[in-house]
Formats: sequence, C-alpha cells, structure tokens
Amino acid sequence: MSNIGMLLPNEKPEHPYLLKSYAGMLLGNYSTRFCAGCGYGIIAQLFTRVFEDEKLDPHLHPVVIGIGCYAQIMLLVHGNAQKILSLHGRAPALATGMKMANPKMKPIIFSGDGDSMGIGGNHFIHMCRRNINMVELVFNNSIYGMTGGQGAPTTLYGARTTTTPYRMFENRADAVEIALAAGATHVARTTVAHPRTFMKYFKKALKHNGTSVIEIVTPCVTYFGRKNLDNIGDPDEEGEKMDTGGKMIDWIRKNTIRINQAKFMSEEELFNKYIIGEFRYDKSKPEYSEEYAKIQKLAMGEK
Amino acid sequence: MSKSKEKRFLSPGKHLMMGNEAMSEGAIAAGLKFFGGYPITPSTEVIEHLARRMPEVGGVCMQMEDELASINAVMGASLVGAKSMTATSGPGLALMTETISMAANLEIPFVFCDVQRNGPGTGYVTDLHHNDIGFVRFSGNGEFQVIALAPMNCQELFDLTIIAFNFAETYRCPVFLLSDAYLGHLHEVVEIPSEEEILARVVDRKYPDEPTDNFYSYRDRMTNEYIIPEMPVIGTDYCPGLWLHQPHGPAGLPTPKPVEFIQTLIEKINVNKDKICLTDSYQLEDADIVIVAYGLPVRSSYRAVDIARKEGIKVGVLRLITVWPFPDEIVQKSIENAKAIIVPEINYTGVIAEQVERFTKPGVSIIRIPKVCDFHHPDEILKEIREAAK
Repeated sequence: MSNIGMLLPNEKPEHPYLLKSYAGMLLGNYSTRFCAGCGYGIIAQLFTRVFEDEKLDPHLHPVVIGIGCYAQIMLLVHGNAQKILSLHGRAPALATGMKMANPKMKPIIFSGDGDSMGIGGNHFIHMCRRNINMVELVFNNSIYGMTGGQGAPTTLYGARTTTTPYRMFENRADAVEIALAAGATHVARTTVAHPRTFMKYFKKALKHNGTSVIEIVTPCVTYFGRKNLDNIGDPDEEGEKMDTGGKMIDWIRKNTIRINQAKFMSEEELFNKYIIGEFRYDKSKPEYSEEYAKIQKLAMGEK
Repeated sequence: MSKSKEKRFLSPGKHLMMGNEAMSEGAIAAGLKFFGGYPITPSTEVIEHLARRMPEVGGVCMQMEDELASINAVMGASLVGAKSMTATSGPGLALMTETISMAANLEIPFVFCDVQRNGPGTGYVTDLHHNDIGFVRFSGNGEFQVIALAPMNCQELFDLTIIAFNFAETYRCPVFLLSDAYLGHLHEVVEIPSEEEILARVVDRKYPDEPTDNFYSYRDRMTNEYIIPEMPVIGTDYCPGLWLHQPHGPAGLPTPKPVEFIQTLIEKINVNKDKICLTDSYQLEDADIVIVAYGLPVRSSYRAVDIARKEGIKVGVLRLITVWPFPDEIVQKSIENAKAIIVPEINYTGVIAEQVERFTKPGVSIIRIPKVCDFHHPDEILKEIREAAK
C-alpha cells in the first residue's frame, strides 16, 4: 500500500519546469496520475511556469486546493509552493481566513466546477462579492471526474453522464456569469487549448488587487469524451466520439467563441458554447482586507 | 500596536457582563486574532461584541456567509498562525463537523464555543438543553479526541476561555467551550484580573527555533512518549510543502501505519489527562452520596448540598470542568465509597451518567434527574438526596 509511488512509471524529464514538480523534488517521481488526454497536466505546467518566471514568493502565495481530480495537481505544481488541500468546495472560505489573518498574502485557489458551482457555490459568490484579494482558478471539465463521471452543474445540455444516462436536461451554471453578477473585479475564461492566453490572464490576476476568477475549460476524455459525440446538444448533426485527448482539444477549440465575436451572435448560436476572453477588469472597486484595515484604524481611534 | 495592546485588556476589577460577552473578553485576553462566525441565537452576542472589539485590538472579526465558511475561515486563520475561534449553537455545530474532523486530523488548534440550545434548527432558540455533550465528543467523521470544557458562571466563561486557548495551543486540537442559552444570556459580575496576571496565564503560540521535518504529533520510538511539535505556519519556512489529511503522508501517499496515526491523535491527549482533566469537589471528603455534575446544574447542586448537610446527610459534589476527555480516574476515585450517585443533567439521555455508570460498583444505583428547557431547582435535587439517604 505504501509503495504505490514507487510503482508509478518514473522517467526524469528534460523539461525545465517539470523538474520543479513537487513530487519530483520530494520523491524524484515525475509521473502524473492523470488519465491520458487530461488537461490538468497542462494547467500544472503552466502554473509552475508562471510561478517560476514571475518569481512568486511562496510564503505570500499559498495554494489552496479543493477536492476533485485536479487535487492531484498538488504533486505536479511547483515544489516550493505551500499547498493545502481543503475540503470539497470550501477552498475560498479557507483562503479568506488565511488572507484576513495575514493580509500580505494573496492565496491562489484551485477549484473545479463541482467545487465552485456545486457544493461551494455560496463561498464562491461571497468571495466575489467581498472582492478580497485572491485568485480563483476554476477548472471546468463539465463533469464530476473523480467520482466516476456524474453530471455536474456545468455539464452541457444533452451530454451523457452516469447520472444522466439518457441526456443532460438541466440548465448549465456559468462560473463567469455568476462571478460577474456577484461582483468579482477580474473575470476571464480560457481553455487549455489556449495556454498562452491563460498565462496572460493569470499573470494579470497576480497583479490585480481584488478577486480574480479565471475559468479554464479542460477536457475529460475518460468520463466525458468517451461517452459523448462532438455534436452535444445538436443530435441532428453527425458526431464523432471524442475518445482521445487530441479530439477533445479539437472539440474545445471548435466549441469556443471569442467574446468579441459572441457580441454579434444570437442566443441560439451561443447555446452550449464556451465564450472565452476577458469579461471584466475593474480596478475601481475597494478591496476587502484594505477596507477592513481602515475599520481597524477607525476602531483604534487613529485617522 | 501600542494602542491595540492597550485595548486588549479591560481595566482590572469588577465588570457586569453578559455570559457571551465575558467569553468574548476572555478570548481577546487570550490573544484572539481571528473570529469567524455566523449569527445564530443564542450565540449572537459573541459576534456582535467581537465585531466592535476585534478591530480595536488589531484583530479580525468576520461575519461569514454561513457556518461552513466560518469554520473554514477559522481553520485558515489558524494555519497562518493566528489564534482563532468561532461561536455557534447546535445547528451550526452540525454543519461544521466536517471541518472539525479535518482540523483535528491536521492538528490545527482553534477554540469552538458552543452556546447550546434546544432542538434542531427549528427548535426553541432561547431555551437551554445540554444536547451537544455527546455530539462534541464524536463531532465529525474519523477518530480523534477533543477537549471540552463546561463553565458554570460568567467568571468561568472568562477564565475557561483563556484555558481553552491554552489547551488548543498546547495539544493542537479543537477545544470546545460548552456554554448554553441561559448561561450565555446571564448577566453577572466578572472579576477581570490585571494585565500581568492575564499574560502570565496565556500560552502563546510557539514557533520552532530550527527547521524540522516533524510537523505533526508522533510517538518517540525510544521513549514511547507522545511528542506534540509546534504548529507549522503557512507563510514561513517551517511549513510542510503540502498540508493534507495526515494519513496521506507528505507526498499524498497512504501511510503504512493508519492505526498508529489514529492512536497518536487520541493518545496525545489521553496521556496528558492529569493536566487536562480539571475537576472540582465540594464537601466530597466524607460523602456517601455523590452528585456528579457539570455546567449549570452544579450551581443547583451546591445549594442542595448545603441544605442537605444541615439535615445531616453526607453528600458532596464532584464537578466536572473538563467533560471530554472524561476524567475517569478522578470519577472512579470519587465514587468509590458512594452508596448512591446522583447525576443531574440538562438532557434526557444522560450522556455523562452513562460514563459514570462505567465506574459504579454493582448494587450502586445512579439516579438521573433529566431536565430539558429548564434548569434544576435545588429542591428537585434535594428530593433525590433525601430519597437516597433513606
């Protein structure tokens, strides 16, 4: 039981950023535990790259991770980052406590679609409402991957999952729309098929003083791709099975629309599509911990 | 900072305070830096009082969106080195249990103030009922040992809160303060000690001198002693790269010794029972009838004992200040020669009576006096004392 780590395939990679991985630095094990075709490896590598290139202070940028497949990212991301695995959906609340107890910090939250749209929806909304200085990355694979492919609040209409065996019939939650309505001051959506855009948004979020929400659409081949054709929600068209990572990345590319184009499209045309781009970047709103510091000064009788 | 330090300590002397306020002041005196809460009757005065007082002392009082968020924020604040606390009632505790078990597993210290009330979320919100006594002991999934203290007046709400913080810092576990609706709303005179006296009582969070790999409690292989290292702090060099439910180990792999892990969590507290288990006795030396009580019923019991002693009945009170871990040795010793044991409790099940039952000799009866939504009149206890003395 204890030597699972030793059984995993282990080759020392040549990639400069992969060498920084936590499990690699700790155990000398550079393997990932993600399924073939999963997008989380891309995100982990991009995070490590930004962490290394921007020379982030690990003491001031704790990484708070929620529960989901993506929690395994903790073994892949930069080894110097201080990581904590929080409870399912509670990552924003935990990070709020950390931020308020040490206002110099800027926590980075990893959360999934089930995490932030399902069980932790309330915490997500109130984090955005407070405009507290942290970054939340929402990984949207539109499915509950870790428990075996159940339908998520973000599952596209018409998709097949283990809990919607006929087809998904619920309306879908949109993390970006919710974040905008709740008052987050930096909101963007991108996909793993657009890694440079993600890095751009993430770097911007790290410099932003307020809540940043970046949704990243990522593929789940094992539970979503294999069960669905790439014509989800449009059964008239002929579809193809998305059983490899490449096919899913292609589907994500096909299924995304830039925000500038989306402005001129009708609601029907945008149905089941992901709109990518930067939705809001607002520097004018006050930040929560700074406002609280003012209250502290007021209470202490200082001006 | 000098200004915030000035305001941390109230002027020494007598203050008329509500129970919930006394508890809040105790927490501030103990060095509370973060309070996360959600309003719930009858604990509302705690968050109201702290919302005014915490900014004055340079701390943070946050009203979170729900109980789940408040306990998680409290855990997060504790992780970055702030003494933290939350206050709630039974329904809030029910929501918070998931996080309590995680905090206990990661050995994150915080103080949890439970102002108990009757019934579920739709119950009588201003009536007392010691229904969380059994709940807090196993408050969460997984196995761990918590510490629970039961104050009986406003002075103790102040003093025991300081002790609760000390226990949390020393033993790195969640510590519960079992107040209740009547005690929380009771106005009494509280004697505030001087600043020096309070500072002498308070155990501050310790930080290690040099980096080590032992972030969690462990059993020393040579001496077999349980060692509780200082709490690691996120944002310093002394912090594990990954905070994870402990059985996973540092790399997220399952531990080869799950039993030893659970054993450490429980035994690190049990071996220190002599320091943790606070009890008090009243006229117990020659008593054949022993009253075992905690919380508010202690006050009625003291009065009943005074009257019974005048009648020549040898009766005494064993008062449990620490309810969990159960002070079994002290209870066993106190009820050794008892003919009858009376356990007045503000619940029907008699959670503590069940515990006392484990140590009673055959033939010795345990007389329970259950009460719900009300506290015991001394006469009710006196009646049972007279019955037992016959």
